[in-house]
Amino acid sequence: MTVTDNESQGIIHVPTLIIALKNGLLVVVIFSLLALILQGILKPLVASLQVVETVTTTLSLILILVLPYIAYIMSGSAVRELVKTSIPQALLTAVIATIVLFSIISVGHYLLNLGIFAPTSSIQMTVVDTDEGVLVESVVEGGAADIAEVKVGDVITAIRRDPVDRATLMARVAQSEVDSPLRLRMIRDGEEIQVTVRTVLATSSDASALFPGLIMALGVTLITIIWPGQFTPYVILLAILSPLFLGYLWLIIATFSTRTQGIIPLDGEGNIGGFTLSNWDFLFGKDIVGLNVSIWQVTLNSLIIAVSMMLIVLVVSSMAAYALSRMHFPGRKAFLSFTLVLHGFPAVTLLIPIFFVLANLGRTPVIGEIVGFNKPIGIALVMVAFQLPLGVWLMKGFFDGIPWDIERSAMIDGASRWRVYWEILLPQIRPGLLALGIFAFLGGWNAFLIPQTYSTGAGMVNLPVFLNQLISETAPVNWNQIAAVGLFQLVPVFILFIFAQEYLLNIYAGGTKGFS
Amino acid sequence: MQVTIENLTKKFGDVIGAENLSLDIKDGEFVAFLGPSGCGKTTTLLMLAGIYKPTSGTIRFGDTVVNRLSPRERNIGMVFQSYALYPHMTVYKNIGYPLKLKNMQKKEIDERVNAVANTMGIGDLLDRRPGQLSGGQQQRVALGRALVKEPDILLFDEPLSNLDARLRLTMRGEIKHLQHDLGITSIYVTHDQIEAMTMADRIAVMSGGHLQAFDTPEALYDRPKTLFVAGFVGNPPMNFINVEVSASNGHFVATNGNMSLDLSKERGEKPATAGNSVVMGIRPEDIQIAPDGTVPAEVFVVEPLGRENLVDVRIDGESILLLADTKADHKRGDSVKLKFNMNKAQFFDSKTGKSLLWA
Repeated sequence: MTVTDNESQGIIHVPTLIIALKNGLLVVVIFSLLALILQGILKPLVASLQVVETVTTTLSLILILVLPYIAYIMSGSAVRELVKTSIPQALLTAVIATIVLFSIISVGHYLLNLGIFAPTSSIQMTVVDTDEGVLVESVVEGGAADIAEVKVGDVITAIRRDPVDRATLMARVAQSEVDSPLRLRMIRDGEEIQVTVRTVLATSSDASALFPGLIMALGVTLITIIWPGQFTPYVILLAILSPLFLGYLWLIIATFSTRTQGIIPLDGEGNIGGFTLSNWDFLFGKDIVGLNVSIWQVTLNSLIIAVSMMLIVLVVSSMAAYALSRMHFPGRKAFLSFTLVLHGFPAVTLLIPIFFVLANLGRTPVIGEIVGFNKPIGIALVMVAFQLPLGVWLMKGFFDGIPWDIERSAMIDGASRWRVYWEILLPQIRPGLLALGIFAFLGGWNAFLIPQTYSTGAGMVNLPVFLNQLISETAPVNWNQIAAVGLFQLVPVFILFIFAQEYLLNIYAGGTKGFS
Repeated sequence: MQVTIENLTKKFGDVIGAENLSLDIKDGEFVAFLGPSGCGKTTTLLMLAGIYKPTSGTIRFGDTVVNRLSPRERNIGMVFQSYALYPHMTVYKNIGYPLKLKNMQKKEIDERVNAVANTMGIGDLLDRRPGQLSGGQQQRVALGRALVKEPDILLFDEPLSNLDARLRLTMRGEIKHLQHDLGITSIYVTHDQIEAMTMADRIAVMSGGHLQAFDTPEALYDRPKTLFVAGFVGNPPMNFINVEVSASNGHFVATNGNMSLDLSKERGEKPATAGNSVVMGIRPEDIQIAPDGTVPAEVFVVEPLGRENLVDVRIDGESILLLADTKADHKRGDSVKLKFNMNKAQFFDSKTGKSLLWA
């Protein structure tokens, strides 16, 4: 932007102002249209389906609430360039653009009964805090308070028996549904009386409520102008991820404390503190109330399921994928599309038939001892079946990526197909094997539904089922202990990822660039 | 090892890969399969390697029919265009892999790998992985791996295509030299006719799955038997002009519009019997721009090649390529006179595409 033209010599940079206003108004128009479509078209459409939902209303409300700030940000960003040449000019331009936009939006809100002009539950009077209680300053004539004969000068002390100040009173009013009775306890002329006021839906005409809004708008614009742009992605990312981080933070804190409020650890008396290791007692063979199985037995079960699942999935999918990728045989295409369909098949629908299969297998001598009902490997086998379609497709993709020439070369060098598969191809798809292996291991380690269905007796449960049993016992639930068991279950996962990450990087850096 | 191919055919469903090929390759010979892409040369090579099974026909290595033998039973070495090195193995292991598969002793493997690596000039790279090598080095490793098991036959599938022009020139000489030294029967697939011409003892020109010609480079160049061979072999390519060849009183003349060219008896006698459906072929180096030329033409574009200029001239709108001295300094739009060396002219039947001179 050049600042040599005459207009730019003034205190306001007019071209920038126009761009800023244009940007802001564009956002207003787009968002208004979106809200209109949501409220006016989608909502009736959804309603006609007789489905109860609040998503469209919520979305349009969010649009309306977020709209002004997006508009200010857009108009503010138009001024960013001007900061480099003249800061006062930039500030003035931005302030004027914001005020104009704010006025337009406020008028729009007023006309459409939105934002601060939206009708809310009200008892139509104004109050102030005093030492004795909440003093009624004014009453709208013919309004809800007036009908209930609330007089100016009354001092409200409580709603029913709950003492109130101005803020809690306003909140209670706002939260109560329309036409619900509020029994106010108040002092009139030194006497305590009770008055029941029925809330009504009323639009606030309190224009002073606009002022904080304007301050917010100016603040947002100012931040937009001076915001260092390179941080934006991190802030957005952090905002989205913060619930996750907080969740894990809670998990860790909870395992080491007696109890928690939010993520703040508390001791028995409710003071901050209360560090304890007693939640981890289960590691040292001390029984958890109501359960009589060692955590190590449970862990071993989990491990057997996860490891056997990983091994079987890796062997079977890589071999099947090799055949599908490299060989032509009748039914190859049909098999491929069939596995794809199977991948989308919900496991739950097969729970009962599989139960019969496992139960019958369990009665078969020898085999039944290994893969039957209520055996870790049998349970793993069921989950293997559900993971194989994905595994086969994933591995096939990796095999497809290896040039034919390498395989031909190995065959000419004298290798059989088995050796080609084992010595030449498998080492080249190690990253894929590792990914699928981790996937299968975690699938087995965290499995709940299948182990829960096909294992009975305390000795056969795996960690997730064990966790569930901790909760479903009738005894009082010790959430901090459950957090500790949960964290214990997470440990191998962490280790696996730390190890695998390095391994994956190694392979990608040096392994498979040999061919062009 | 002598290689005999008889009536070899390969079909992929309805698609013909190669049809009715018959070739005799002598022991120790270097043969190139030359043709445009999709002509069936690589298909034929892969049948020789045992990767593809022939639909019909026979392949003999020496006296043995190898049709049903797997690649490992054929004792061949092959070099691929993509080098096809095993990326997860070091150079040493790559070269030693064929020997390992033969269950050879570690000590012997070590000796042979080192010997081959030193021959190929990659003795100092044995601990590296293919990904850490340049294209030329990878090429040498691939060649070393093919040679280490002392194969009876060496197969090359466009091995130089992925190298830069300069390296290609060097490797060309090296492969030819090496093949000569070792005396291993070699079959070399390429679409680059310069490679084929410079390296091969004999060239099999292929097109559309069929063998067009199988002869020495000189014979293919000087005595092409078909229009396709004449057009494919030689760079810049041969010029083709539709002419009518007539004889009167023992004089033979090729005419096209205003152009009239005298022919000797050896060249003119046979084409004269074919009447007016004759295509005359003449190589760019057999046309000169000379003041005493007989054919008027206009210079269309001049491409300097360094040693000479490639000049595109137009005779009645028909494009003719010729090579001219750089000193002559022809310019676009110049009117020039052309002189044809008619003793090098080729004549083909325009319908069958067969040569009228070398039937």
